[in-house]
Amino acid sequence: MTAPNETAPNETAPNESALNERSRATALTLLVPLLVGSVVAVGLGVYGNLHDPSGKAVNLAGFTSPQAVKAWLGSVAFVLAVVQLVSAFAMYGKFGKAPAWMPPLHRWSGRLAFLVSVPVAVHCLYALGFQSFDTRVLLHSLLGCFFYGMFVCKMLLLRRDGAPGWVLPVAGGVLFTALVGLWLSSSLWFFTTFGVTL
Amino acid sequence: MRHPGPLFTLLAGAALAGGLGITNFVNESTAAPAVVSTAGAAGPVTTAPPLPPLPPPPTSEPTTEVSVPEPSSPAPEDSPRGDYAGKVDGGTASVAVSVRDGRAIAYVCDGKKTEVWLEGTETGGQLNLTGAKGSVLSGNLDATTVSGTVTAGSKTWKFTAPLSVKPAGLYRAATTVGGQASKVGWIVQPDGSQVGLVTTGETSTPAPPLNPGTGTATVGGTPITAQAISGLTGEGAFR
Repeated sequence: MTAPNETAPNETAPNESALNERSRATALTLLVPLLVGSVVAVGLGVYGNLHDPSGKAVNLAGFTSPQAVKAWLGSVAFVLAVVQLVSAFAMYGKFGKAPAWMPPLHRWSGRLAFLVSVPVAVHCLYALGFQSFDTRVLLHSLLGCFFYGMFVCKMLLLRRDGAPGWVLPVAGGVLFTALVGLWLSSSLWFFTTFGVTL
Repeated sequence: MRHPGPLFTLLAGAALAGGLGITNFVNESTAAPAVVSTAGAAGPVTTAPPLPPLPPPPTSEPTTEVSVPEPSSPAPEDSPRGDYAGKVDGGTASVAVSVRDGRAIAYVCDGKKTEVWLEGTETGGQLNLTGAKGSVLSGNLDATTVSGTVTAGSKTWKFTAPLSVKPAGLYRAATTVGGQASKVGWIVQPDGSQVGLVTTGETSTPAPPLNPGTGTATVGGTPITAQAISGLTGEGAFR
């Protein structure tokens, strides 16, 4: 995943004009999604900081606590994210020729993961806010803001033709990494602290 | 429009987030006026005394309040005011509940490392409180006792707490320990015993003893003044 990143800066060296032209086009293609994603990430963080945490927010019935709901929804998103990773590898032919249902599986598991994560994020931001009182919480807050910025960025990238081939795998890989970090710093922490409770 | 799918995904997520956000906002703003109005009604009537010089004999005014709450109280008929301090079954943790005009605040503390603040409503003697990390307290109260269950972390306790008057009850303070913001909570029982915890971040340690008469304690070498929380007088967190 890191290889394309490392080679990108060197592209200007060998054949100046053609490569310059290409990398300028690439930069323009990537600029808007990256910019919008950054605004979303920073915006969420600023909102989380400015909004007075309410301490509570609407939640699903049938669970013992809002935290349990979030831990489980987060885990559903995490499992779907693993589906995302595997189906992405399959789409890029890492397991031989991909069946025709692989792209729809990737799209819909991604959509579902995103939608399932939204109530969790809304509760986090509305009821708890951006917090930094210990490492886990700070990491979770930062990753949460980053994740949604990156998600918006990736969705916008999907709509652009002409982005270099490495862009989507890098964006997807970063998203997956962020989601795993979010899950580790919340759901796993919850289950190991309070037990695996509904 | 080329590749509309991702855009729809984003819009669906934004709509869901917006819907939840509006629901939250509506819930909060419909709950808010009640809090504001009780604060307005409570302020001028009871003239809560400042914390430090508390007179030891608490018998005169509280008993009149408690025994004849309906005629003398300016609050609506079925909204009691009072403070309760007691213990969970087995006695491993203390519970304090303060109720005023339909709002309730509770603190559960074992004096070792577990503590939780809860906030919520009192409706017709029924308590519904929630706190951090999914903690929940529910119970019933009358003029002498509150009893119910409280869940904090992975533990659920039954508890009973009798009506208590100063210096028994609930106290809290904010201070700084080692450069970090800390909260301190104490529960003083009617028999004079007390438990308290200093909580910095996620870590709680036993609090130094509180002098309930003066409301002072020395935390981390710093003398601090605690705030009494009383539903009876409206002191503390009853804004």
